[in-house]
Amino acid sequence: MVMRWAVIWDYREALWSGLRLTVEITLLTIGGALLLGTLIGCLRQLPSYFLGRAVLAYVEVIRNIPSVVKVFFLYFVAGFDALPAAVIGLSLHQSGYISDVLDAGFRSIPREQSEAAWACGHSRLQIFVHVLLPQVWAIVLPALASQLIEIVKNSAAAMLLGIKELTFQTQNIDVETFRGFEAATTVTLIYLALALSIAGIMTMLERRMLWR
Amino acid sequence: MAVRGSAFGPVEPTACDRWLWRAVVGGMLLAGVVLLRHERWDVVIASGPFLLKSLGVSWLLTLAAIGIGLPVGILLALLRTGGPTPVKQIAVGVIEVVRATPQLMVIFWVFFAVPALSGQKVPAWTAAIISLSLIAASYLAEVMRAGILSVPSIQIESGLATGMTRAQIMSSIVLPQALRNMVPALIATVIMLFKITSLIYVVGITDFFRAVILINNREFEPIALYTTLAVGYFVCCWLLSLCVRQLDPKYVLAH
Repeated sequence: MVMRWAVIWDYREALWSGLRLTVEITLLTIGGALLLGTLIGCLRQLPSYFLGRAVLAYVEVIRNIPSVVKVFFLYFVAGFDALPAAVIGLSLHQSGYISDVLDAGFRSIPREQSEAAWACGHSRLQIFVHVLLPQVWAIVLPALASQLIEIVKNSAAAMLLGIKELTFQTQNIDVETFRGFEAATTVTLIYLALALSIAGIMTMLERRMLWR
Repeated sequence: MAVRGSAFGPVEPTACDRWLWRAVVGGMLLAGVVLLRHERWDVVIASGPFLLKSLGVSWLLTLAAIGIGLPVGILLALLRTGGPTPVKQIAVGVIEVVRATPQLMVIFWVFFAVPALSGQKVPAWTAAIISLSLIAASYLAEVMRAGILSVPSIQIESGLATGMTRAQIMSSIVLPQALRNMVPALIATVIMLFKITSLIYVVGITDFFRAVILINNREFEPIALYTTLAVGYFVCCWLLSLCVRQLDPKYVLAH
């Protein structure tokens, strides 16, 4: 079959706007998921049986339902607009996984540190902000990188609500020109570049944390 | 769950705490039932056979993807751990590219690539099974690689010392142990794939997700239908994750 890569050049503006939307959804979701995931991860560390069970139940529910189902639920049942539904749905989805990653980080810190801070009269909030979280962030950075790449991947689900991001543009190019293969290959490469740049940024952060 | 560790010391629940927690969960489920009792559940019941059939389609896709993906994944893992350098790099490339690309994009790519490369139209089912198998193979290859590396290298050296060939060592020493070690991770991958099948509706296959969308397009009862959708996926995946816990209570689920 003859390939016609020139089609991609004709659609460069559509792809560029798709890329911008994908990056926008990804960044918003990263912010939301990190905030929510950190909060839930911290709640799980408090010495309360009920909070522990509640967080476990939350994570279980989040994990056992596909991300698209959450996004559709928010869009059709809760009545959000397309973009908020996608961002909130994906943030909820990833927050469960991020809280798990943080939990592993918290467990690797000796309990004596928070006990010592407690004995010195710090509040729980101070202990989290000044003692535990700075160390936990440094420890979980590599695991967090794969979670952030997961967010880029899941952002493709936004197209199912009609948001014109990268995957949507692929389908659009196929509908208009029947050049789906060229479009899909190009967009796959763009996604790879996004994943690689996130991995690169995280490695840089990791190095800076180690050198400090 | 007996004693739970926390950042501030161990938490030991009393029997009263446990019953209180059960009461809270029961109360929340009851509240859900009370809140949703006036929804039009007759729509869901009327389409019951159709929904069950489409749930079966989702499972069929999952099992087909595992059935094809497992052997391919084992092959990729073997190439990645012990193949000659160029072959190894190709295996690494396939595994990492598929794992770094959105699953939706993999599905689209296969859907467009198979006709483009073979020159003839393929049915949606073929494209769906190929793309899901590709995803399954690359994730299972990593699971498998962890399984292979979990076998101590001294066993391989002992095998070599007794005069076994590499193929014999793989088939009768390494793989049996690796497969046994990876059973929990394998089930976790099945859960992950089952969730990914919710994306396959983009190529027009009526799986559980598309069935609910189709019924909703006709009846417009989003609350009843999407609640059924979420509960259906949750129950299937949750039962599987219970299996993993039964098999290996220490295994950390990350599907």
